Amino acid sequence: MARITVDGVLLEAPDDSMLLPTLLDRGWQIPHYCYHPKLSIDGSCRMCLVKVEGMPKLTIACNTPVRDGMVVDTRGPEVAKARQGVLELLLLNHPLDCPICDQAGECYLQDYAFEYGTREARTKEPRRKLLKRVDVGPRVVLDQERCILCRRCVRFCSEITRTRELGVFNMGDRSVVDVLPGTALANDYSVCTADICPVGALLSKDFHHALRVWFLDESESVCPGCTNGCNIKVGVARRRVYRLLPRRNDHVNDTWMCDEGRLGYGFVNDARLREPRVRRDEGLAVVSWAEALDEAARRLGRLAHGHGGAALAAIVSPHLTNEELFVLRHLIAGGLRTAEHDLAVRIGSADGFLMKAEKAANARGARDLGLAAGPAEQGLGGIRAGIEAGRIRGLFVTGTDAWEIWGADSPQIFGRLETLVVQFANAHPLVDLAHVVLPGLTFAEKEGTFTNVAGRVQRVRRALDPAQQPTDGEIFLQIGRRLGIEVPAEAFEPARIFRDIVATVPAYRGLSWETLGSLGAPTAEA
Amino acid sequence: MPGGVLTVARRPRPRVVDPLGPIAILRGLAVTGRHFLRNLWGFVRGTPRIFTIQYPEESQRLSPAFRGMPVLVQMPDGKERCVACGLCEWACPVDCITIYPAETADEIERYPELFDIDMSRCMFCGLCEEACPEEAIVMSQRVDIATTDWRGSVWHKRDLLVPGSELGTRLAHIRRGYERAGARLASEQPVAQGQGR
Repeated sequence: MARITVDGVLLEAPDDSMLLPTLLDRGWQIPHYCYHPKLSIDGSCRMCLVKVEGMPKLTIACNTPVRDGMVVDTRGPEVAKARQGVLELLLLNHPLDCPICDQAGECYLQDYAFEYGTREARTKEPRRKLLKRVDVGPRVVLDQERCILCRRCVRFCSEITRTRELGVFNMGDRSVVDVLPGTALANDYSVCTADICPVGALLSKDFHHALRVWFLDESESVCPGCTNGCNIKVGVARRRVYRLLPRRNDHVNDTWMCDEGRLGYGFVNDARLREPRVRRDEGLAVVSWAEALDEAARRLGRLAHGHGGAALAAIVSPHLTNEELFVLRHLIAGGLRTAEHDLAVRIGSADGFLMKAEKAANARGARDLGLAAGPAEQGLGGIRAGIEAGRIRGLFVTGTDAWEIWGADSPQIFGRLETLVVQFANAHPLVDLAHVVLPGLTFAEKEGTFTNVAGRVQRVRRALDPAQQPTDGEIFLQIGRRLGIEVPAEAFEPARIFRDIVATVPAYRGLSWETLGSLGAPTAEA
Repeated sequence: MPGGVLTVARRPRPRVVDPLGPIAILRGLAVTGRHFLRNLWGFVRGTPRIFTIQYPEESQRLSPAFRGMPVLVQMPDGKERCVACGLCEWACPVDCITIYPAETADEIERYPELFDIDMSRCMFCGLCEEACPEEAIVMSQRVDIATTDWRGSVWHKRDLLVPGSELGTRLAHIRRGYERAGARLASEQPVAQGQGR
């Protein structure tokens, strides 16, 4: 350990750790552009200059190793003046695009110009003209004029994705960032380059000119795209989700997320089911929640009691939270007394990095709670055989994944059922076959926990107000109550039900809702 | 000192019967009568000198500092100057502005696809004009925003566009303000550098 003095404060840091991360971790505010905690050191922006006693001139903190006895000054007049000079050079050719630039509001150049900049530009020469709106890839747009050549994006593509699409071309004041000839910035993590761009040079096309960032309300959550459970921020405005951003969690996703997960939030905003429906002679009719729940309980209860449960099955959605699944487990075991239940997990492409094959956030959690009959690859084989043999006549379906898993056979399989009660969030062909439709909610409207593939239990938080719609857990409770089973709680309160999970599921022993925090906690089996 | 409190010595209340009262009444009548006769004389001669204006057929000449309803400046090519930066929307204390930005193929790549102002909420404070970096939204001299239907109180972009040539006096007024502010800033000491936020 090295003992150093920074701005008069005595610190201890591991030998040879770099000064900048040491200070940033301890709450120092040191301006920087090219340094990124998950990328190699570049030292190109020169913004993190500090004064180290004994060194002949100011030095960049990102590339200065900590030494025992070091005395550092990060905020004296000499340092401030040097940073002002560096910033003036960076701003020399930067266009005054702020009113039309998506980065405005979360731009490091704006922030530091406000802190260190001068009011007047001293140059008489015109700013250099470069290419704007360069279509570098299907999901990212580049503005070369705004670039300050920190090379974070170039390092990301060579060190993290190892795809090497981006490079710096030409030399000196003619340098520009661009894609290599004949390539496109099309890797599965391409929008991360827009995240790490400290200015508005690389921007996500999805969010391009969509909204000013200061109108967003951001909540911490977990990506629903696959079982990796990348930590995210959900940006909401005008009662819509506008973007998902990765959030740093060194146990899960560092600071990255894949484009598929990032851009897959459309289902929260569009084609939502809002009103419960019940099938009548003339077709599906919109009814009140009480009527729909009565009808669901009546139809499911008739099969549960009339045939000893052997005629009823349930398909469990891996998109539900642990707390909802816990209540659903009670409902399945006590009220529906189903012959079979199984987890419907869609399998997609995976890479060795963040993308996992199981395309649902809580497949692991559902398995931990004993809701899967077999491995996902079997594709709900038992239930399918039961329906085709005519043994299973009624089905309670949460989520729509079963439809995708059975593919072209789905209409024929689901069409055989005499009772089909469905519960999911979006318009779907299954609605046309169902007898009772119960609209569910999405991850953005829920409080709860997901367990990722590595067994890490992480909180999802309500980003959008679901207005009058009950949560999925509340629906399970209501059906259970109508079927006369003892439900675990009066009202659906995730925190309380999580305590029940901790008390009854061995792997979750020792966890607590309050200490999950924003980064989650591992289960005993993780 | 602005905002200072001035203490006023109250006059003692007059006696119940003021012997000078009738004289004061006659003096007041003289003032009114003088104006009446002067107006009558002017009416007879065809040069009326009354201050009343026959609104809405006539309108008053207003100072460029007057703040009527906010409008959008239209450029000679018919497009708006606004680039949908959202600063007026943010500055508006009553949240009466709604902007949906979009992209165009023009050199300035951003424009407001939708720009609505709810005039029933607007309080003519002018903060939108002050926040605007493009001189795109200015306070006009229009105040005729009455409607018979509440939906009509929301003005859309096409209703708000006014050619820049008609807003010259207000734009000149704003620029004078900028110049004054700039001169004041230049005379001040620079702000302290590097003070962490």
